[in-house]
Amino acid sequence: MEYLLHILILIGIYVILSVSLNLIAGYAGLLSIAHAAFYGVGAYVAALMALNLHSPFLVNVVCAVIFSGLLGALVGIPSLRIRDDYFVIATFAFQVIIFSVLNNWVSLTGGPMGLPGIPQPTFFGLKISSHVGFLLTIGFFCAVTLLITRRIVQSPFGRVLKAIREDEVFTQAAGKNIATYKVLVFVIGAGMAAVAGVMYAYYISFIDPTSFTVMESIFIISIVIIGGAGSLWGPVAGAVVLVLLPEILRFLGLPSSVAANVRQILYGGLLVAFMMWRPRGFLGKYAFQSGEASE
Amino acid sequence: MITQVLINGVIAASTWVLVALGFSLIYYTSRFFHFAHGAVFMAGAYFTLIFNMFLGIWLLPSMLLSIASSALLGCLMYLFIYHPLERRRASPLILMLSSLGIFIVVENIISLVFGNEIKIIRSGLVEEGFPLWGARITSVHILIVCVSVFLVVATGVLLRTTKVGKAMRAVANNRELAKVCGVESYRVILWSFIVGSALAGLAGVLMALDVHMSPAMGLNAIMMGVVVTIIGGIGSVPGVALAALLLGMAQHLGVWMIGSQWQDAIAFVILLVFLVFKPEGFMGKKIRKAVV
Repeated sequence: MEYLLHILILIGIYVILSVSLNLIAGYAGLLSIAHAAFYGVGAYVAALMALNLHSPFLVNVVCAVIFSGLLGALVGIPSLRIRDDYFVIATFAFQVIIFSVLNNWVSLTGGPMGLPGIPQPTFFGLKISSHVGFLLTIGFFCAVTLLITRRIVQSPFGRVLKAIREDEVFTQAAGKNIATYKVLVFVIGAGMAAVAGVMYAYYISFIDPTSFTVMESIFIISIVIIGGAGSLWGPVAGAVVLVLLPEILRFLGLPSSVAANVRQILYGGLLVAFMMWRPRGFLGKYAFQSGEASE
Repeated sequence: MITQVLINGVIAASTWVLVALGFSLIYYTSRFFHFAHGAVFMAGAYFTLIFNMFLGIWLLPSMLLSIASSALLGCLMYLFIYHPLERRRASPLILMLSSLGIFIVVENIISLVFGNEIKIIRSGLVEEGFPLWGARITSVHILIVCVSVFLVVATGVLLRTTKVGKAMRAVANNRELAKVCGVESYRVILWSFIVGSALAGLAGVLMALDVHMSPAMGLNAIMMGVVVTIIGGIGSVPGVALAALLLGMAQHLGVWMIGSQWQDAIAFVILLVFLVFKPEGFMGKKIRKAVV
């Protein structure tokens, strides 16, 4: 039972991460491999505040969201000047730099040793200590994320995002200030990812930089792409499938060192297979084809 | 001390330039970021381990065999994955994402087979090295520097003089026009994969000889390859060489002054500055036309 709840909690965290990345990559078409950086910054901000300032849970969530959102704006800015694959490289650079800071600023982040002993959170006066409690809290945040995302993509704001994805120059010609939209979508996406980070930090009660690597970013973008970019439920489906799939390996009785590699091979192979045969993913509406190439 | 720092910078640059040269060549003709290049680099090192340690072949022939096997590996990636994708008119983003997938698969196969720990080919004791202007340099380092200087010059010359080199530049310049003139981009890109992967394989072999190999080396190499390629400017051999030197120097000066743990951060801050202010690098041509 504990195990089942643990899996559900993980799925919840990845749902928040992939739905928020989908907003950036799937709707606005800004493919980013910096999402684990936002996730990590959220986790570290909350953990540091909880450990050093003993501030309440909700305050930490808000601070993590704000901090990560500001960082999101910073990552969004290069998108105004460079696009497509070059922009991916820029987000990659941010990811590496943030990881490097988390890993090397030992006096603040504890470096590779991480931050142990994050206290259990209190949510509306209730102390969350059991798996069920965490599952409910994460379920709540998942629902909020999905609601906000749905609200955004159905609004005029969301339509402009999709227009930017389809044809940037035309959108600009239609009088939209695409710079604001691009930066704003990054702020929102990064803020949501921070919530996932906060929940992760509180749930595991220990964080270290290895949870927020480039590979983690690639995993999150794989969820979005395999689930289906540009659709609301695609990333949710992707998160469920990609978190559950490796658990099957556990039942095959592979030793854990082998299972870790096999898991990665599975993700990598799936990514290639989907790019080959179904670039839209399960439920996707967008396949990262620029106008030029899809003629 | 400062000469040692500078020499270390040159040695690092010599390895990165080989990775970046191949990566740049592949981007030059095929127009997408081939991240699995890092996997080919890593495979080069592990092929040497297989040939030399497991099969007992002498070092030199096994190095040559490794380079050939790496070239073959790169070639297979193109034939079985990228080319079918290109025929489906996949965008550079899709090609890049699939290259990430390939990278992950190859890296994990290597770590599954050989384990995560460091492997060494070097036999005997660690060399003390020759004194040079108050610094020390080992024979492997001299080999690395000589080989990479030779190959940088050779690649530059071959791109300008040979038929394949000219065809590569034609395809890079305008694929449709090249086709009209009877240059089939498929063959030319395949050539650039063969040559580029051989260069990456060689870099992997040299890295294995100089230090050691581990499954983490591929990601590190491709990161440096990307930085050097973009700073140098796509398709410019002198640009790539200069960028590798700049990066090598910057990193080792950084190591000397603020500590080795910030190497990656230094490299990527430089990259970001270039991406935002001069995305075509310092020797490249303008790359982004307005997409209408």
